[in-house]
Amino acid sequence: MSRPPLPTRRTLLATVPAALAATSLATSASAAAPIVGGGLAFVMNSAAANIGVIDMAREREIARLPVFRQPHHWALAPDGRTLLVGDAAGNGLFFLDPARGTMLGHRPFPDPYQLWFSPDGRFLVTAALRLNRVYVWQPGTLRLLKRFDIASMPSHIAFAPDSSMVYLSLQGTDRLAAIDLGALALRWVAPVGPAPAGVMWHRGQLLVGIMGSDYVSVVDPADGRVRERLPAGKGAHALFLDPEERRIYVGNRIAGTITAYDAASLARVRTYDRPGGADCMGFAPDGRIWMTLRWAAHVAILDPASGRSTTFPVGRSPHGLFLSNSPTLASRQGQMLNSA
Amino acid sequence: MLRYFFQDPFNALAGWLQSHLVLPILYATGGMRWEDIGFGWSLFAVYGLAQVLVTFAVCLPLEQLAPVERRPLGREVLTDVFYTLLSRVGLLPIVTFVLFYQVQVTVTGFFVDRGWIPPTLETLLPGLLGHPVATFFLYAVILDFADYWRHRLSHRFDWWYALHAVHHAQRQMTFWSDDRNHLLDDFLSALWFGAIALAIGIPPFQFPLLVLLLRFVESLSHANARVSFGWLGERLVVSPRFHRAHHGVPAAGRQSCNYGGVLPWWDMIFGTADFSSRYAPTGDPTAEEAMASGSYPAQQWAGVRRLGRTLLGRKLLGQGSAGYSR
Repeated sequence: MSRPPLPTRRTLLATVPAALAATSLATSASAAAPIVGGGLAFVMNSAAANIGVIDMAREREIARLPVFRQPHHWALAPDGRTLLVGDAAGNGLFFLDPARGTMLGHRPFPDPYQLWFSPDGRFLVTAALRLNRVYVWQPGTLRLLKRFDIASMPSHIAFAPDSSMVYLSLQGTDRLAAIDLGALALRWVAPVGPAPAGVMWHRGQLLVGIMGSDYVSVVDPADGRVRERLPAGKGAHALFLDPEERRIYVGNRIAGTITAYDAASLARVRTYDRPGGADCMGFAPDGRIWMTLRWAAHVAILDPASGRSTTFPVGRSPHGLFLSNSPTLASRQGQMLNSA
Repeated sequence: MLRYFFQDPFNALAGWLQSHLVLPILYATGGMRWEDIGFGWSLFAVYGLAQVLVTFAVCLPLEQLAPVERRPLGREVLTDVFYTLLSRVGLLPIVTFVLFYQVQVTVTGFFVDRGWIPPTLETLLPGLLGHPVATFFLYAVILDFADYWRHRLSHRFDWWYALHAVHHAQRQMTFWSDDRNHLLDDFLSALWFGAIALAIGIPPFQFPLLVLLLRFVESLSHANARVSFGWLGERLVVSPRFHRAHHGVPAAGRQSCNYGGVLPWWDMIFGTADFSSRYAPTGDPTAEEAMASGSYPAQQWAGVRRLGRTLLGRKLLGQGSAGYSR
């Protein structure tokens, strides 16, 4: 099998934003991996200081890309060509080629625990969980637009579809925060339930996984008022909508289960047993759900129809998970490019 | 999954601990915000337990086969066992994680807001990225150098030695004695290493066997064993003979020797090495009896009393020292 040509400095400069060109490119050659037809999965092994690159067809790790300390989450650049991975404890932002599974470079960055681009691609928002800060950056230049000191533990991020607002769970409290991206001002902070984790915009309202309890809060995005509580398992964490927008899945940390809701009615339709600390999920083209199991150092692949799952080992405390060929990703990417 | 247990038993045990003990407790007590740190503590506790077991398995036979002193283990050794379990498996890691998490947040946030992002060793020396074993060894050397000076200063200042004397008061030194420290002395050590961590980053956490090895050397160096590593070995790694000279009665207090924890290099460089072959009796004659043979609370309280006397004496007498040094 022939190895594709390594990216040169010139091709890198042509494909990544200007800010990335200023990063260290020293690791690109040593971390090269072949393009894999079946797609690549990237697993952020948060207690192993590396990113596992998985051949999705073979369900096997083919490379480990070193980072400084703790890679947690990721964001795909609006052009889809650069995957950003935040190394929170290492205060570093790493840039990867999602098609090749190679490292492009890195740069110092304050505690990028969670990071996400707004749907219109105009803002990069990062949640510095350890430092109790939320940063709003200009993509491309990575110029800081505004810093918000918000206690405590800002964690998961969700945007309004028109990119007017960003919402963050404050995991060290019982609150959710809303920031107006037009005015760059904090709009409200409201109680939604103990240790809120995952946040998702869904059909005009916000869904928030309540990790300190056993439910998902349905929140009014206008004022943060809790409209409804959806029963989940103990330790409800992150939420994910499938590509067909039929089901919403939430992992329950204490219960060791995954709850599936009907996306239209928000009725609970099924509960799957999946111990090991299910965290980030990704939807594969074959309909199966990939998920990191943080305390088991494995990735699980769940067939939502049969309820059966398989696992394979990855690094310690796998957290963020990116599937390069996920239909969800294609849909979101198309949305971002159309609105940009 | 069972196969994976044998591939990475540390993580498998830590994962089990996290899922079946730590998270349920955090959930029941409203502490789920700490779930991520909880896994760090679980790994730390598993490493700590492994350290204790490995040290026990190696050092106990050594102490039986080649003891420096033949005498039945006294009650004070049991207190040292308690210190070890507290330090390596139990409460102290939790306190360290929670307390220093907050300190780190405040200090790092202060610098980040002013445009300075604390580095890691790999950002200072970019060639290290992707070579984690080399990185770890470099961290180990730097931290051991820092520990040499922390240790030396804890003998230099009377108020600090008032606390550190708890470590030196033990007359029946065994491999359990390594963790016998006053809580305030541990706190000062953590502050010291916190400052170092801010300057060069915290070391990677993914090499339990190397961490085990370093902590094992420290425990072994306290063993009641007539063990020397030979002329060359003694100059590469701290041996029980080398460290016993530091704990010897003649070396208690201000004019001590052999401060190195793992590497004797710093003592050689800074002129504090003693490679003589004698095995002196250990202890600190200036320490009150409670500090030597009291219970855990008694030893801790004795340290506080001695610190108070040192500080108060200095203030009342207007002197630079309270006279505990030798």
